[in-house]
Amino acid sequence: MMETILEIRQLKKTYPDGTEALKNINLSIKRGEFIVIIGPSGAGKSTFLRSINRLSEPTSGEIIFHGEDIVKANRAKLRKMRRNIGMIFQGFNLVKRLPTVRNVLHGKLGYMSTWKGALGLFNQEEVEEALSILERVGLEDQAFKRADELSGGQQQRVAIARAINQSPSIILADEPIASLDPNSSRVVMDYLQKACQEEGFTTIVNLHQVDFAKEYADRIVGIKNGEIYFDGPVKELSDDVIQSIYAKGKEAMPV
Amino acid sequence: MKQEALNISNQGEKGLSATKPSKYSEYKRRRKIMLKSQGFITAIILLLAIWSIWGTGFNLLSLFFGTYEILVFIFTDMFPPDLTVIGQLIGPALDTLYMSYVGMVISVVVSLVLGVLAADNLTPHWTIARVSRAVTAFLRSVPAVVWAIILVSGIGLGPLTGTIAIGLSGIGILGKAYAEVLESIDGAQLEGVRATGANWFQVIGQAVWPQFKAGFVSWSLYKLDMNIREAAILGLVGAGGLGYYLQGSINLFQYKEAATAILMIFALILMVEYMTAKIRERII
Ligand SMILES: Nc1ncnc2c1ncn2[C@@H]1O[C@H](COP(=O)(O)OP(=O)(O)OP(=O)(O)O)[C@@H](O)[C@H]1O
Ligand SMILES: [Mg+2]
Repeated sequence: MMETILEIRQLKKTYPDGTEALKNINLSIKRGEFIVIIGPSGAGKSTFLRSINRLSEPTSGEIIFHGEDIVKANRAKLRKMRRNIGMIFQGFNLVKRLPTVRNVLHGKLGYMSTWKGALGLFNQEEVEEALSILERVGLEDQAFKRADELSGGQQQRVAIARAINQSPSIILADEPIASLDPNSSRVVMDYLQKACQEEGFTTIVNLHQVDFAKEYADRIVGIKNGEIYFDGPVKELSDDVIQSIYAKGKEAMPV
Repeated sequence: MKQEALNISNQGEKGLSATKPSKYSEYKRRRKIMLKSQGFITAIILLLAIWSIWGTGFNLLSLFFGTYEILVFIFTDMFPPDLTVIGQLIGPALDTLYMSYVGMVISVVVSLVLGVLAADNLTPHWTIARVSRAVTAFLRSVPAVVWAIILVSGIGLGPLTGTIAIGLSGIGILGKAYAEVLESIDGAQLEGVRATGANWFQVIGQAVWPQFKAGFVSWSLYKLDMNIREAAILGLVGAGGLGYYLQGSINLFQYKEAATAILMIFALILMVEYMTAKIRERII
């Protein structure tokens, strides 16, 4: 298949309170894959995604992204790598008091000088690009509203627009639809999928809903107790496997 | 190993059901401790009140006769105010305004830096936060009048002394207020911006500032309201402005002139409060 874009080796994360959230994660991700991660609550899915852009610092291991180790990157390097990684959160994490379009413009911060970025001095070209991305997620009419005046589903589409504006090569989405109703969930997942196909983004999504996972994923990774328990295409994810991923206690051997 | 985990979780559940009745007694126990400590604090407050009433020689009779004498003083010695001195008061009034405003600007600028450094969620390092908090606490613990008395000996009489005194004590108050507002902002919004590759200054400008602005404006304007009062008092120790004029006329027993100065202070306070209220409405 295609080239490997993200290679994760022996990734471990132990929180300061001693919780071993990730025990030993090895995963190789190819360009353009749409991966859905499933697993029970507390399995370590969020920790895993947040380790990739180091919103949560890994304890040890390697995360090779475009040939460079994110774990070893210094601050300046890390920011350069982060602008190449779009992130979508369960709680949207938009700046609520700012207009929608400004939130989308934030996708460009990693490419701007410190002061222009800090003061929000975006030029005409950047603003027009942000507006056109908002149009692509169907929110052209909401551009100048305050972000918190939008519905949850709309806010999540703004977050997708912000990520698209980064022109990233990877998008990480941590339970993007967990706080949305089924209709908005579908709309958000469709926009996410469309963006990723059109732009060729590699995508890693954490999901609780197995049916959504099966529908959108090329490949499914099951995480349980901080370890990879299943890794394969959707058709290999049998009901038995699903059950044992979500079952408590000792079950079948990990892959 | 998995087997072990299973056992532990089973024990956990058993443990939970076994402790169910004692959970209530635990609740009662904690509640009792809380009530006891509240009773203790109330008792201390009452004792302190009694002690200070006794200590200050407070009694209702002296309050009654005192009020009578104050009224006599106001109506015979201060009334009617000598309005012919208004011309001479314009300069001192402007000095008072200037001290309050420039004092506020000084404390806002310095407090912004100290506030960001002191806020747990923004500080580059916790030791810096500690130091910054200690500096603000120290500045806060010295009242503006005391700063003025100290500064008069170094800088001399005049509004510059008052300005610096107000600025210094203001840092103590605004530095703490800003840090508290900053600590209460929503970290998820910062994370959303940080994840785009934004650096520290960009996160401050684009994610912290929008959340901080309203609190920043209210606190800064509130400080301006307070400053105008303080500026009037500071004159009494020689730091310029209306208070200085007031002090001079009282020393010369010119109570009718003093009355005009007091009215002027009153007018100034009302004017500033009106303006800050308008500005607040506009911005927030
Ligand atoms: N900041 C933290 N400090 C300590 N422990 C944490 C922290 N964040 C997560 N954990 C623990 O790490 C483990 C993995 O948590 P994580 O949030 O990654 O799980 P998850 O798979 O995303 O769960 P969910 O589906 O509920 O979101 C859990 O046991 C959790 O309690
Ligand atoms: Mg999670």
